[in-house]
Amino acid sequence: MTETTVSEPIVVEEQETRPGYAGQNVPRKEDRRLVQGEGVFFDDVKRHNMGYVHFVRSPYAHAKLRSVDVSKALEHPGVIGTLTGDEVALLTDPFFQISSPPGAHIKDFCLAVGKARFVGEPVAAVVANSRETARDAAELVEVDFEPLPVVSDARSALDDDAPILHDQAGTNLTWEGVYEWGDLDAAFAEADRVVKISELHFHRFNSTPLECNGALVEYNRGTGQWTITTNNQFPGFAAIMMGPAMRVGLDKLRFVTQDIGGGFGNKITSHPQLVACCLLARKLNRPVQWTEWRTDFHLSMSHGNERWFEDTEVAVKEDGTLLGFRTTALDDAGAWLRYEPLGGVIWAQVTPGMYRWRHIRLDFKQVVTNKAPVSPNRGYSRMQHLWFTERVIDIVAHELGLDPVEVRKRNYIRADEMPYETPNGCVYDSGDYAKMLDTALELIGYDELDSRRADAELRGKLLGLGIGSTLDSGTNNFGQSRLINPELQFSGNNEVATVKLDIFGEIVVTLGTTPQGQSHETTAAQVVADILGCSIDDVNVRAGHDSYWNSHAGFSGTYASQFAVTGLGAVKGATDMLAEQMKKLAAVVLGCSPEDIELAEGQARMKANPEAALPFMALGAIINANNAGLPEDLDVTLNCRYVYRPPFQPPDVERKFGNLTLTYAAQVHVAVVEVDPETGVYEIVDYAAVDDCGVRINPQVVEGQVMGATAQALGAATHETFTYDEDGNLLTPNFYDYHVPHALDMPPLKTGYIESASPFTSMGTKGMGEGGGAGIHAVCAALQDALRPRGNPIVFDSCNPYHSVWELLSDPESSRQRVTVEPR
Amino acid sequence: MDVVTSQTIGVEVNGTMYERDVEARRLLIHLLRDDLDLTGSHVGCDTGNCGACSVILDGTLVKSCMVLAIQVDGSSIETVEGLAGEEQLSPLQQAFSDHHALQCGYCTPGMLMSATALLRENPRPSDEEIARALQGNICRCTGYWNIFEAIKAASG
Amino acid sequence: MAAYDHAMLLSEVAYARPATLEQALELLAEHTGARALAGGQTLLNVMKARAAAPDVLVDLSGIPELKGIELGADGTLELGPMTTYTELIASSEARARPIVGEVCAQIADVQVRNRGTIGGNVCASDPTNHLPPLLVAVGAEFTVSGTGGERTVPAEEFFLGVYMTAAGPGELLTKITVPAGRSDGFASVPIGVDGTCIVNAAASLNGGVRVALGCVGATPVLVEPATADSEAVRGAVRDAGLEPPSDVHASADYRRHLAEVVAARAVEQAGKAG
Repeated sequence: MTETTVSEPIVVEEQETRPGYAGQNVPRKEDRRLVQGEGVFFDDVKRHNMGYVHFVRSPYAHAKLRSVDVSKALEHPGVIGTLTGDEVALLTDPFFQISSPPGAHIKDFCLAVGKARFVGEPVAAVVANSRETARDAAELVEVDFEPLPVVSDARSALDDDAPILHDQAGTNLTWEGVYEWGDLDAAFAEADRVVKISELHFHRFNSTPLECNGALVEYNRGTGQWTITTNNQFPGFAAIMMGPAMRVGLDKLRFVTQDIGGGFGNKITSHPQLVACCLLARKLNRPVQWTEWRTDFHLSMSHGNERWFEDTEVAVKEDGTLLGFRTTALDDAGAWLRYEPLGGVIWAQVTPGMYRWRHIRLDFKQVVTNKAPVSPNRGYSRMQHLWFTERVIDIVAHELGLDPVEVRKRNYIRADEMPYETPNGCVYDSGDYAKMLDTALELIGYDELDSRRADAELRGKLLGLGIGSTLDSGTNNFGQSRLINPELQFSGNNEVATVKLDIFGEIVVTLGTTPQGQSHETTAAQVVADILGCSIDDVNVRAGHDSYWNSHAGFSGTYASQFAVTGLGAVKGATDMLAEQMKKLAAVVLGCSPEDIELAEGQARMKANPEAALPFMALGAIINANNAGLPEDLDVTLNCRYVYRPPFQPPDVERKFGNLTLTYAAQVHVAVVEVDPETGVYEIVDYAAVDDCGVRINPQVVEGQVMGATAQALGAATHETFTYDEDGNLLTPNFYDYHVPHALDMPPLKTGYIESASPFTSMGTKGMGEGGGAGIHAVCAALQDALRPRGNPIVFDSCNPYHSVWELLSDPESSRQRVTVEPR
Repeated sequence: MDVVTSQTIGVEVNGTMYERDVEARRLLIHLLRDDLDLTGSHVGCDTGNCGACSVILDGTLVKSCMVLAIQVDGSSIETVEGLAGEEQLSPLQQAFSDHHALQCGYCTPGMLMSATALLRENPRPSDEEIARALQGNICRCTGYWNIFEAIKAASG
Repeated sequence: MAAYDHAMLLSEVAYARPATLEQALELLAEHTGARALAGGQTLLNVMKARAAAPDVLVDLSGIPELKGIELGADGTLELGPMTTYTELIASSEARARPIVGEVCAQIADVQVRNRGTIGGNVCASDPTNHLPPLLVAVGAEFTVSGTGGERTVPAEEFFLGVYMTAAGPGELLTKITVPAGRSDGFASVPIGVDGTCIVNAAASLNGGVRVALGCVGATPVLVEPATADSEAVRGAVRDAGLEPPSDVHASADYRRHLAEVVAARAVEQAGKAG
């Protein structure tokens, strides 16, 4: 990693007035259709003669497939056709594996081949004239399962006698890596205390977007082209996975999305089902429609990484200064590696969390188990790690009798240290964490904490306050994948936009992204309108994503907190190009030089003489329909395509060192809980969230993301968990048992913000949206604070439903045994 | 009276009469979405928890995935598609947009129907009453706070 | 081995909408695989999951005899089983025994309350439902009708098991009679506000102390402590020898403990009411 020279970042605190649309709460272009129910989600699209797919799924967590007999299903009236694993194994090659060996040897197909490895895994598909018929016929598919012993817990996956999920890999430990930076020995020698934590556990859950996955797939026999109308949120990745598996070029896979009902990362790994639909569409010569139902989604799609942090040792000074830590992270990937093992490195974007410790070692082990495959979930892999660092700092403060506010401030990376290079070469671009903490504490009324506690006590409740700070690292350097597998040929990142000025003066923008509520049409239009000096109403941003627009590149999609940087970077780049061309053309027409031209009020006009002006329509008309007589060397098309590429280097694979993400938004949350000591039931009674995502193009949009991430984190902290029994059955397959927050569950919310512009992006923006799970960190800390008078239990799990709090109340000693403090 | 496995039903939706043959097992949400092409109401779950399918049936707010199509013969239904005027959004729809009460928009039709039902019965609801009225509508994007604000703003 | 599935789509079924109770009972007698369809807020979910697949749905919504709320001069409430939760909450007659409306208002959400019926809640006999323990505590009586005639079953004897009640094949619950009284309480620990109950308890102090516990067994468990004193109530719950289920939300031990707490709270509430 070479040195970065940057100018002082601009910190904007007050509501500074900027001219133009940036920074304003512009009404959303998306809203008009969405509030009228005129959005187009994949299931809204119909094709004549389409068949409906129903996947036959395994009831066993682990079983050999001795035979799959579809003959009775095929006889059922209304059934059009079927697909089995045997066919799939002939027609397709296994999906590309990101992992190095042994994970690399896994053979993953779009239907189970030879074995089923999790409850709910698709083993066959039936297509019929109606949804109900497909469902009926699925019951007629006869599968001869031979149940096998089940690996239902990541820790037992490593036992000598553990059943092996993938024979080709030969082990359940599909990936491991050791990360070490700094000088651990020196750090532990310098420490006054060593705080040891035997085990912390981050639980398995996901964001349950309200719309589940699905697709409508059509096959054009004449051209060999598939059109996949779907809600996959990372078509760049899906195409790279699907093309080679299907033995076709990527251009044969046209992805079309318009509106997507939430993604949060959980719509990245639908490519197996999409391949099955593609094969069926081709085989049956009919459009084929697949709707994933809620239970299917819970059983089989995109669980978040479950991760244990074992044998953690923290080197601490007496005054609470953290010097370093070592830990072993055991990660449960579920039955297949579909985006994994990238989770094994992505956490390293935030290796030290928000803290200045320099000496860190993390042993990462990832195992496969007979559970739903894991794939990115909002905060992907960083959230788990940030929760870990927050637990550590909270436990250290707790055990050393130090003020958790002071300990954080002592250890936070400081604003004047930004840009800050972490021990592993990531560069935190800007931020002022201490200021955010102060703001959050003020919002929550921190000064009144003691009296609130006393008041709660009178009502028989235990009140606690907890801080959760987190980072939202955005814009990946995909070169980090080489830390997982040095053979991989991925690095950097990109996103595409086109902007054109049409014959009647329409400004048309296309994006490569796949928004699921992040207001891309609106924020892109704000940027375009500001550059071109026109009204935002004159900027038409096409809704959604379509491969045919040729407005995408290898990494196109909407994931990993990057639109404000990559998407808007592409929009800015394309619009700057267009603006330059418009000025060039206007200069020719008006007889001056391009520097004399400004774009304002929907016109290209001479700065010195605004009366000499051309409306945009005139420029568009000239290039498109009236271009005789223009200078031969005039390089103007008014149709500009720009590929944004963030400034990354491939990381140093040996040292595992390098900048892995471009921007670091931050959030600091404070939660206040009241616990009923008689029952363990608790309520979040007050909440504050402060965010910093650099320059905010649309503050309301940003705030909406903060709120949404907060609500999801609160759900995850209190009730949401994908729990399995020892036979590999999911105990929370629907919204009865997997309780997500409803309206009455919401606490009062106070929000605040600061803006620390990023020095590394074209507009000072930072990607945000994932939110890093701050709510989980805050609730854990608040519970630990609340339960202090009851034997001082340690909160060691990210999810604390009532029964967990009850256990902490009933037996605080048990949790305390996880922590020891050794003097040096 | 007959025991039937299917029936021709007549139902009014947003002021328009429709006649369709439906199987007895057909859910109302699928009649609306698949048979009548009114795709504004959505499906978000399979256990009647999420409320994305909420519509107003004979003046009463219901989850249309928890009603059979065959049960609405002779009934009158309002869906999100009927909320806006000829030229303009309803004040409630406008308020949702003004207050950023929607992001992906998937829960929004159900939310709007629940809010519409609430405001008809209770034009000036308290904060608690608003939250209670939305208890059967799950949103994963907004955290509900802006939705509360929007309904507050649209209420008398 | 048949395919494993939960999903959204019902199996084929036939449907009838009788206009009288007599017609409904005839249908139920004629078709052994028939099920009564009340509000549908439970049965449709069961059918979506294909956990049950009746041959015929007998829609009770067109039968006037099954609706209505009557308040007798002696304060007795007669409730038609097809009364929706919303109707019950709104009924001024039903306010004679306020706890019934108060508990109905805690069930799920307004959409469910607009369609779901008190009869459906009772006949589903789901251990986590609100009305079974409530109606046991207040000493309600259930009128069950079949083609053979009509009989009355006290609430304590009505609930036979999970999804099983004294209204057997070919029979219908036709009336719920709630005696007069106001000293009632109800306490629960739901998953989230108004979510599914982990435990619940209803208490009635209208002569004696009756506490009915829900979620701790297949059917409500009635305990009758000697006094309304908190210790006496908790002791009576302990003495009941509960064997609650263990599930993802609570272990058996935790449920046992919570049962004591909600029982005491329900009794305390009952003491303050009326």
